[in-house]
Formats: sequence, C-alpha cells, structure tokens
Amino acid sequence: MIKLAIYGKGGIGKSTCTANLSAALASLGKRVIQIGCDPKADSTINLLHGDPVLPVMDYMRINDEEPESIEQISKIGFGGVLCIETGGPTPGLGCAGRGIITTFTLLEQLELFKRYKPDAVLYDVLGDVVCGGFAAPIREGYAEQVLIVTSGEKMALYAANNIYQAVKNFEDRSYAKVRGVILNRRNVENEEAKVRAFTDKAGIEITADIPRSDDIIRFEDMGMTCVEGDPGCEAAKRFLSLAQTLTDEDGKNG
Amino acid sequence: MKNVSGIIPCYAADTSGVCSALYELGGMTVVHDASGCNSTYSTHDEPRWYDMRSNIFISALTELDAIMGNDEKLIEDTVSAANDRAPRFIAVCGSPMPMMTGVDFDAVAAEIESRSGIRTFALHTNGTRSYIEGASEAFLELVKEYARPCSKTEGGVAVLGLTPLDFPLGADKEIRRWLSENGFRCLSALAMGDDLGSVGALPAAELSLVVSQTGLAAAEYLKEEYGIPYVCGVPFGKEFAVHLAAYMKDIIKQNMGCSPVMEPCCGFEDADTVVIGEGFFAGSLTAALREDMNIKALPLCTLPAYGPFKSLIGGEISAEEDIKAFLEEKKPGTVIADPLFRYIVPKETRLIEVPHFAFSGRCFQRDMKNMINTDIKEYFK
Repeated sequence: MIKLAIYGKGGIGKSTCTANLSAALASLGKRVIQIGCDPKADSTINLLHGDPVLPVMDYMRINDEEPESIEQISKIGFGGVLCIETGGPTPGLGCAGRGIITTFTLLEQLELFKRYKPDAVLYDVLGDVVCGGFAAPIREGYAEQVLIVTSGEKMALYAANNIYQAVKNFEDRSYAKVRGVILNRRNVENEEAKVRAFTDKAGIEITADIPRSDDIIRFEDMGMTCVEGDPGCEAAKRFLSLAQTLTDEDGKNG
Repeated sequence: MKNVSGIIPCYAADTSGVCSALYELGGMTVVHDASGCNSTYSTHDEPRWYDMRSNIFISALTELDAIMGNDEKLIEDTVSAANDRAPRFIAVCGSPMPMMTGVDFDAVAAEIESRSGIRTFALHTNGTRSYIEGASEAFLELVKEYARPCSKTEGGVAVLGLTPLDFPLGADKEIRRWLSENGFRCLSALAMGDDLGSVGALPAAELSLVVSQTGLAAAEYLKEEYGIPYVCGVPFGKEFAVHLAAYMKDIIKQNMGCSPVMEPCCGFEDADTVVIGEGFFAGSLTAALREDMNIKALPLCTLPAYGPFKSLIGGEISAEEDIKAFLEEKKPGTVIADPLFRYIVPKETRLIEVPHFAFSGRCFQRDMKNMINTDIKEYFK
C-alpha cells in the first residue's frame, strides 16, 4: 500500500499536489483515501467539485459525540477517492495538533483501513511539523514516506529544510522517511538549481517537477483537479507520471 | 450534563488499573505524569503499597517538558531507573497531559527497550477512562507477551482479572482454595499472589475463569490463540460456588470452545433488590443471592462492560443521573452497593454496604467483605 504524507510551506500548493496525485492514482485504478490534516479543511475540496466534506472536528463540535461510522465523516470524490478532513478547533482556541491525533484515533476505532482496504493513503499536512499532532501522520502505522512540496523561493526551501530536519529527528523511531520533493514551480530564477542544491545536500531526490500552469488554476476555479479536468495537459501528465512511479515502486516492494 | 458526577465519586482511572494489574509481577510501571501524582496510583488506589514492594516510576513531567515535547528526559530517566532496579519488564503509560500533547508511547517504549535491553511495552492510558480499560489492556499485553505453547495440565485453570481494585486482599487465596477443593489446579491468578513465570504457563490451562471485566480481553485472546474456553463468574456464596465449579467441570468435559456465562447471573426484572457495581461482581452476587438465599436481584453495572456478560446484566448505566433515575423509577426495597452510593439511593430504600476499592478507595477498606466460597447469609439477611 502507498502511504504518503505531504508537507511543505503554507501556500506552496500541498493540497493542490495531494489532490491531483490522489486523482492520478484513482485514474490508474487505485483505491485511494485522502486525509486533510489542516484546520482549514480544504485539502479535498477540488476532488469534491467544491462541495466540502464535514470535517471530523466539526462533526464532534456539532454533535458533542464521536461519529459511529466512516460515512458520517467522509465523502466520495473524483475517481472514488474517499475524502476525509480532520478540521480543527475554533480558530484561536484549543489545540489543532491534538485534533489530528483525536481524528486518527477515531479512524482507527472505526477500522477505516480494514474496512475500506485502500491501495493508497495520502495525508495532506499543514505546514511544518510544529508539534506532536502534526507529526502524527508520519508515526508508525500511518505514512511510510514523506514528500515535501517546495518551489525555488527562499522561504519555501527554508521550510522544506525544517521539515526534512524534523523528520530526520525521528530516525530512531519507526517513522516515515523523506522520499523526496515535489518541485512546484513558481518560475523564479534558477529555480531547479536552487531546489537541487537543497535536495543534493539532503541526499534526496526531486520526485516530481510540476510546471507553473494556468490549467491548474482554471480547473480549481471549477472545483476540480487538472487530472480530472484535462488529463492530457502537461501538469496532469506530471501527476500521472508520479502516480505511476509510486505504483510501480509499491508493486516492487510487494 | 452527561457523565458528570456531582455526588458520587468516579471510579479509579485507567492508569491505576495498569499499576494494580502489574503490581506483583516484578516489572517497572512508568507513569508519565507530574510529580506528586504517584500518590493517586500507588497509595489511594493501592492497598498493597505499605506491605509489598513494587517498582512504580513517576516521570515528574514538568510544564516545560510537556510544552517542549521532551521525550528524551522520560526515556533517559526510565533507562537509568531500570539500570538501577533491573525489572523483568517495563510498562509505560500515560496521563491526561501526555494525551493532550500527543506523546507517542509506542515509539517511546521502543526507544527505552532499545537502550535498556529490557522488554518494554506501552499501555495507552490517558487518565480519563476507568481502571477497567487500563487493567484490561495490561492483562492482555502480558498474556500476548509471555504466554507460550505448552502441554495441558489436567484440571488446570487460569484465573483472570484479579486485582485489589475489585477484590479484598486475600481473595486470591480464597479462590485458589476453592479451586483446589473442587479438584482444579490454579495455574495462575492474574494478578494477585502470582508471578510473571506463571503467565508463561497459562496455555496449559483447560479453562479460564474470568472474575472481572478486566480479565475478559486476556481470556478472549487465550481462547483465540490456544483454544481455551472461559467461564465468567465469581464463586460467591456456598451454593453458587458449588454450582459454578460443576459448570466449569462440564465445560472442560464437553470441551466447549464457546464463551459461556453462568445463566443464574442473569437478573430478574421483578426483583426488589438491586446489586450495583462492576458487572462480574454484580452478576455473580445476583446469582449467589438467588441460589444461597432465594433472593431475586437485578444487577446494575456501573462500569464499562463488554462481551457476553453485557447482555445478561442488561448493559451498563454509568452516569450518576442515569443511576439515580433508574433507582427512583425502580424503587427497590434493597440496594447492595458501595457505601458512597448512599447519597443517590432513594431514602426509603435500604442500603447494604459492600465496599468497592476502585470506587471508595481506602475509606471503607476494613469493611470489605470476602464473599468467595463462604456463607453470605449473615451479610444480606
């Protein structure tokens, strides 16, 4: 099973990349779950044609009790992708990291993986690994690999390095390992060279190179991924290629 | 508000359940919690504290350690203490603050084991659930960890779910004596008067006797893994104790792989007596009252209940307001319960006090009653 966590600086395009990758995996016939781990709860919206799923934390806030079924906190999106959002506490209050842990515990209780039997699970995680809650997706039993989304912009690379170091801190534990970066281009000068300088130093690879694309923006305005909107466009092809690479690797690993 | 106790206390927490279950087995129980909280687990909820040594390690979690996620201090201190004490195993469990900061106890346990070379496992307590969950997970983990295939012992019985939170001190001896008198051989009594070595021999048992809800998960595991059937019940009274022993012999003789519960444990809807407490206690006492004294009673389980016993005891009612409403509607002539239930029992109802350590702690310890294989008529006349 492909178990992947996507991290990166805020606004760098994590949700865009994750949703497109989910859509690409689904297009290859895979059974996919995407779990948005961000209080903003907008990770899966482009798989759902703009009709969002009720986040787990919102369900608990409204009902003052835990959901009893996966159906109460999920929606089926493009290609059959099961969409779940952790959501978070009232902005400015509570503890968002704790919300993620609570959601994961709940999904375990509901036997999500046992019941749904996915081929791929993608965790789209807010920004940096700021606390224990935001490290939950890389704990044993969840993601096995981390992809960091970055552009060639200085602050995006700074955040990418922080994430890389944070994950490295857990190397004594059976946590996920950094698989590589998704270069989400912003067309800055010498962009590839800047990103490559970081990946070379870290000893990781550029796993995918996504061009700056108006197609992505255009289809997001329509509430969908470019993989759904135009699988023949260049950006979609790159996501489909990444999906194929991950699938092939997963097949080899048995 | 649901589940708020305004008058009666709450039961001992899951962390206390872990400490109690593992107390006599030669390991080291590590509780990740603030300094000073050890008195809750080790003294208020532990009647053996002053007479029996056990390794209980409280991590003395500080505000800064919690904020900074300083797991390293917990790991290093635990390894250092383990090097001093050489425990046979290390069990690491949590409390409310680590729950909030999301400490990964499985990863912490793996690191402690790797550095100390001592088998270490995590028990996922958070201090917000009852002792049932904590002790239940501890017993299950022990059995998974240490039970090994071995040849059967004729008449061998594994007693599961025995802690001072539910039973008075000495209950283990009474159960062993009763088993012996009835031709059984007690291979292990998890976990009073027992040691870690006997856990390994549990699969030699022909039958498990589950004496509280805390032993059920371990019994289920032994049934699944080793095909050992189990019977739920406590040999209270004289007649019921005889009946229970005969029932156990039948189960062994017929080689039944099911999960039988003594049918008399089932209550009577028209009963004028209500027995309040842990499900196995309440069900078994209901059966003993019927068989020994011809009293019809209804068990009321006020703690989490799982498995086959749940349907016979009519489920669980744990919220104070629900217990109160049940008693006010039922208006029983007699309630048998811990003395601290007095304040929500209707005024016209007679209360017969049977202290429960997990509920009232040391307050009424000296009044705790041994009802195992003994004449109970004096208590309930």
